[in-house]
Amino acid sequence: MVDLTLEIRKTAKELLEKGEAKVVLGWEKGNFPYSTTPVFIDKPEDTERLIWDEYCINNLALYMLDYKHLDGKVGIFVKGCDSRGINRLVQDKQLDREKVILIGLSCPGMKDEKKAKELGPNADIPMAQKCQDCRYPDPVVYDVFLGEKQNKKVPEKIDTSDVEEMETKSPDEKYRFFTTNYEKCLRCYACRNVCPACNCKECIFDQTATGWLAKANNVSNNMFFALTRAMHVGGRCIECGECERVCSVNIPIMLLNKKIIKDINFLFGDYDAGLETEERLPLGGYDYTDPEEFM
Amino acid sequence: MSVNEVQQNKEVEQNWEPKILVFACTWCTYAGADLTGLSRLQYPPNIRILKVPCSGRVNPQFVIKAFQKGVDGVLVAGCHPGDCHYTSGNYFTRRRFLLMRRLMEYIGMEPQRFQNRWISAAEAPKFQQVITEMTEEIRTLGPNRKLRDDQW
Amino acid sequence: MLVVLKAKLKDILNTLAEEYKVLVPAKIEDTSKFISYKDNVDIILDENVKLSPKDVFFPQTEKMYKMKTVKTSMELENITDEAGKKLLFGVRSCDMKSLDCFDQVFLTKGYIDEFYKNKRDSVVTIALSCSQPMQTCFCSAMGVDSQKAVGADVQAYDLGDKIGLEAISDEGSKVIELIKGQLTEEGAEVPQPGEFYLKVDADGVSEKLNGMFESPIWDDVSKKCLNCGACTYVCPTCHCFDISQEVRGENVTKYRCWDSCMFGEYTQMAGGHNPRPTKKERVRNRFMHKLNYFPDRYNMLLCTGCGRCINVCPVNLDITSVIKQIKEAE
Repeated sequence: MVDLTLEIRKTAKELLEKGEAKVVLGWEKGNFPYSTTPVFIDKPEDTERLIWDEYCINNLALYMLDYKHLDGKVGIFVKGCDSRGINRLVQDKQLDREKVILIGLSCPGMKDEKKAKELGPNADIPMAQKCQDCRYPDPVVYDVFLGEKQNKKVPEKIDTSDVEEMETKSPDEKYRFFTTNYEKCLRCYACRNVCPACNCKECIFDQTATGWLAKANNVSNNMFFALTRAMHVGGRCIECGECERVCSVNIPIMLLNKKIIKDINFLFGDYDAGLETEERLPLGGYDYTDPEEFM
Repeated sequence: MSVNEVQQNKEVEQNWEPKILVFACTWCTYAGADLTGLSRLQYPPNIRILKVPCSGRVNPQFVIKAFQKGVDGVLVAGCHPGDCHYTSGNYFTRRRFLLMRRLMEYIGMEPQRFQNRWISAAEAPKFQQVITEMTEEIRTLGPNRKLRDDQW
Repeated sequence: MLVVLKAKLKDILNTLAEEYKVLVPAKIEDTSKFISYKDNVDIILDENVKLSPKDVFFPQTEKMYKMKTVKTSMELENITDEAGKKLLFGVRSCDMKSLDCFDQVFLTKGYIDEFYKNKRDSVVTIALSCSQPMQTCFCSAMGVDSQKAVGADVQAYDLGDKIGLEAISDEGSKVIELIKGQLTEEGAEVPQPGEFYLKVDADGVSEKLNGMFESPIWDDVSKKCLNCGACTYVCPTCHCFDISQEVRGENVTKYRCWDSCMFGEYTQMAGGHNPRPTKKERVRNRFMHKLNYFPDRYNMLLCTGCGRCINVCPVNLDITSVIKQIKEAE
């Protein structure tokens, strides 16, 4: 990864020096061995700050929303999940594909920052959950590619064993499971703000005056938030797992998202969001032959 | 004791009656409900009908909000596939609620509490039958506490 | 010093639970916070809780009073807190310091917030010293002594397999009196704090910020912020709230709940204007409030170095780096 870091810096430097990109988005080292933080480079000399290591976990795609109106192009380093995030934004008409230069990186799977904090410096740090579940470590779209593709053998279908296990429980058991989890939800909205599919200009949850969702924190309101969001990103969730990663109280948010993905695959045919940008979204269209259960 | 039973005991004593919210599409189901009345077909008085321009107008959060505010069941009803006044609204409804029904069941809501039906303007007997059945199903389940806001 | 074996801690808590409603730091549902003591709770003593004890004094959602219209008049009804004294065991120095900050906000300058005061007065605190700071800790840089908390009723010391107890206030003496039979007198010394991983020098930051409202560093600092409220909600000192109401027919319940300066709605005015339209203004406000406005008004920093915001930030926006950047700025 050290070699790649040098290549990353070189590529970013060239883009900036030639004026092809106004700004380059990547990662820099944080204050801890296990932390990195997004960095926005606009001067060639600052490219030395860029790094590529096993903790570059942030999905940078959503930052493109901040550069919608930039006069010029943005260079951005993308792993598999980031590239699907870019496709998400392009398909949602939030981003002009022409305005980004995607520099692809093959992701070996990032390490779990939370575990690294707990286990200490000498421990063997496991891979982050979102990376364990990853099926597209190589970017699905890019303009330049650095390093080598892994062409790793990945499972064809999303692993929904945890969802299936939940489904076998009784209604009360399920309800109790979700409510004990969402009872602790702080409604800090980190999950929403980090999500590339949550790209609405105005979010229903930011408009308490409309009366849909009050600011009061209780389990009923928190479930309202969770279910509405899950439905809203239904068919658009790119399974990057960022929501679950950033949750400050460790709610298994992907259990909801994966349930919807599983059902979409079952009901309307297999669909992986964020692989391309032209096809109709599962909930943005219909088929005359869709299952009929409402007779 | 199940989540619902706790409250149930209290409410059963107070002659609890199921409260069901029906989102009815104005072109088919609402007209069907009208015909049910005109035809003197009796159905339980446990429903409140909310007229919507199209079943496709119903958002997931309409349903959740209804449960929050204390209804015991929600029915979303619209035109049969192919009959939509707006050509395709109900096809979107179908996809949306095929998913949402499964999601609601997944988080522990009894499937009888959230239902979807196609009821045309001519199907007064069907409207009568659906409402009667749903009311009975929910009466068996008892009052709903799930997703409900404590204050309601 | 009076000491007790950690293994026998529960005996002491059981005794105290007869007199007080005891709250202890415990692991619960994949996170940790202060919860009511029961025999089977998983008490944690080796690290601080992930969620600060601020909600004991300032709950996330706090009902204030009820209103009811009766014909042409309106009736008001107070909501009273549950009676009885609470005992908060195992509060770290950083979180005790945050109570000091809260006291300034809610109890000084000629206005007393009764909701806060009622809760504050009903709580007795046993502070616990830290033997080894966590990696994200930097309390010493914020002027907090990890071995001796401000405002505690009893100071407890982590002595390895034992806990030493020392009454500080009269309330504290009463607590010690209750459990005296279960303690033994031993010659133990106040332990030395462990080494801090994060090196922070906050000297002069407050003064320097006076001229930095328009500084370009805020553009830089705020770029990666997602404007979620994670940092403010886990922060033991953040105390902004919003007042709203639940209305049902003729019954109204007024409540207040945490709000966050990271949210757009926070400064949204009637009519639509927002004086803090982008993340730059919001992030600037957060740090200015913590490091400049609050010291200006109350002569103390609004950061206790607990490191929780560093822990939860989705993008690792680190307050210690911001302090460094401020100090290095021209």
